[in-house]
Amino acid sequence: MAPSFNSLVGFTNCLIVQEDGTSLQGDLWVDEASGLIVDAKRAFFQAKQRPGKMVDLGGNILSPGFLDIQINGAYGFDFSVYEGDEAYLQGMKVVAERIVETGVTSLLPTVITQEKSLYPKLLPLLKPFSTLGSATLLGWHAEGPFIEHTKRGAHAPSLLLSASGGYETFQGVYGADNLVDEAGWRLPEGQDVGVRMITAAPEIPGVIDALKVLAQKGIVMSIGHSTASTSVATAAVKHGARLITHLFNAMPQFHHRDPSIVGLLGSSPSLNPAEHIPLVDVTCEMHTPTPGTPIHDASPASPNRNGTLIGKAFQRPFYGIIVDGIHCHPNSVRLAYAAHPEGCILVTDAMKILDPHLEDGVHEWRDGKRFVKEGEKLYLEGTDTLAGSVVTLDKCVRNFSKFTGCSLGEAIRCVTYNPASCLGIESKKGTLRPGAHADLVVLDKEGNVLSTWVRGKQVFNRSVA
Amino acid sequence: MRLTIRHDPIEVGEYIGQYIAKRINDFAPTPERPFVLGLPTGSSPIPTYRTLIRLVKEGKLSFQNVITFNMDEYVGLAEDHPESYHSFMFRELFSKVNIPPENVHILDGNAKDLITECNTYEEKIKAYGGIELFLGGIGEDGHIAFNEPGSSLKSRTRIKTLAYDTILANARFFNNDITAVPHMALTVGVQTVLDSKEVVIVVTGQRKALALSKAIEEGVNHLWTLSALQTHPWALIVADEDATLELRVKTVKYFKSIEKVQEEVEAMQNKLKGLESVKGDVVAAEAASVGIASA
Repeated sequence: MAPSFNSLVGFTNCLIVQEDGTSLQGDLWVDEASGLIVDAKRAFFQAKQRPGKMVDLGGNILSPGFLDIQINGAYGFDFSVYEGDEAYLQGMKVVAERIVETGVTSLLPTVITQEKSLYPKLLPLLKPFSTLGSATLLGWHAEGPFIEHTKRGAHAPSLLLSASGGYETFQGVYGADNLVDEAGWRLPEGQDVGVRMITAAPEIPGVIDALKVLAQKGIVMSIGHSTASTSVATAAVKHGARLITHLFNAMPQFHHRDPSIVGLLGSSPSLNPAEHIPLVDVTCEMHTPTPGTPIHDASPASPNRNGTLIGKAFQRPFYGIIVDGIHCHPNSVRLAYAAHPEGCILVTDAMKILDPHLEDGVHEWRDGKRFVKEGEKLYLEGTDTLAGSVVTLDKCVRNFSKFTGCSLGEAIRCVTYNPASCLGIESKKGTLRPGAHADLVVLDKEGNVLSTWVRGKQVFNRSVA
Repeated sequence: MRLTIRHDPIEVGEYIGQYIAKRINDFAPTPERPFVLGLPTGSSPIPTYRTLIRLVKEGKLSFQNVITFNMDEYVGLAEDHPESYHSFMFRELFSKVNIPPENVHILDGNAKDLITECNTYEEKIKAYGGIELFLGGIGEDGHIAFNEPGSSLKSRTRIKTLAYDTILANARFFNNDITAVPHMALTVGVQTVLDSKEVVIVVTGQRKALALSKAIEEGVNHLWTLSALQTHPWALIVADEDATLELRVKTVKYFKSIEKVQEEVEAMQNKLKGLESVKGDVVAAEAASVGIASA
């Protein structure tokens, strides 16, 4: 008999959420030793193995673990506050270990606009990270400083920058080491997925030039905190942007004559045929077209990690959407989802006080500012400015299913397969394909988290929590 | 031969599932003396497999000491292909019952030497002392396993070219593309099936009605290979009402009547022997059933 007989675990009597959001009755086999999902048929016929341990899920839902690709902090730790390496690493550990109770097994920490000098300190710390049985911090998401002043939200206005030097300016701010080509960005031992993401406003001088270079380096480029017109936003997507940061928030409202960033969800094929469109049409609307520099490369670009090719058929971008019921009205959520279901990604945009166990009231933030938490609403004290959210991702899933009338499986797709494919990591995360990480969440029929599993081992159980 | 008629495929599956479970439990298999079971693929046996799965979940049946031999497999179709018989058996039965993987035998249609593969298969069956019960289905042309019309009734495990009818019938599993359907298969022979101690055949649906009639109401004939079953000492066919549509009224009434008589005899035997000696009852009932069937 094969030696690893006992390391197989089989999940049975469950509804398994597929990549397309449908749910099928079935079994799932994982290997506790390798922490991966197993091709059950192969294990049976070729390795002559069947699970030594079967887990009866009592007819509940089995889903890939959730991915939160926009989260500012949780459990008292803020990814944007640096008080020394040790404190920071400790904070990462706390978040990674505790967040699993919300069904999240992978998250992308967001660092909002910082003093320029802080990026070289913060970003190297945010290499992919996990402890045994914790969620995985996938890397980093730098939101700002190349964002629009009038759409800055809670970002410090004095720290916002333009990028007149294009890619060089980005390098100067984030640090050249952090923006190396994907192949050169070394992952820590034990980690096999890593993500870098930047939110920038494409109308800021220099951003659209840099965007193409950054996208080709495997950095996920997202449009946000921006007043980009429809044509500028479209150009950004053609240059490799593949995401919209917290749709509807920190961007112009939908206007039918120039639907701006929101309008990308409706991108009409008549305006974006599969052939190459010269970018000349839109340069005139940008703040500072760079004379003499070909902004749009007409030659077929080599495919980057995310598979985007400049010059091929226009692909509508993914969009993150905060489904706390506050940042977006349920009707808006439904509209967006109806327009572009394949691009929908639920995010929490949660602040450091995210903690399902925390009470309402005034809480310290940073720079002497304070939050007011009222249920799931979060304001800067003394203002009506929303300062991120405190909603958990499992709550977003339940909200989303209610707001849009979609099935729980379809809502789950928006926190599993959709975000994973946006980040280009769908062979490892957000899926139950053989070979993917055995990160799982078990939910009841109402979408409440019953248990969470990381790399094939249970790390949270509601009934014993 | 006995023919048992049930209302629909679900009831047929329930009957055969319970019947096989009883045979295995009565056999009381051990690692040294396992129960050797022959198994088919196709849509007909699925309700039977569902019954077996349920009985295992209810703790009324175990496959721990059951050895299985499948009837056939396509040649040249990847084992991983969703329509391979490996995939079918894993999906419909093996993944859901407690059978140890090493107990399972399916012909390897991708073996380098297909002839050796077939010969070895026969030897393996022999090494286990032969098949205790072979469950089978039939094709619309009356084939058993892939023993297409014209197959020798003395055939053993070998390579077979599929009949055009079978390729057409199976095209629905390959996006209706007949060029995608494998044209060859490895299959146990008619004689391999006949060598088993007991044969149970599931026949459901109106499309199988003519084949059933040809197999049991006419003579033994290699154009309807299932008809060879007429020479087997312990054979049971379980059909649904639709599958009997081409049978003579007389045939149907006859088999229905003997089932009724058999039930009466079984009930009487049970009464006489007392309810405690369950094991004894089963033996008596079986003896009765064999006696009546061969009458």
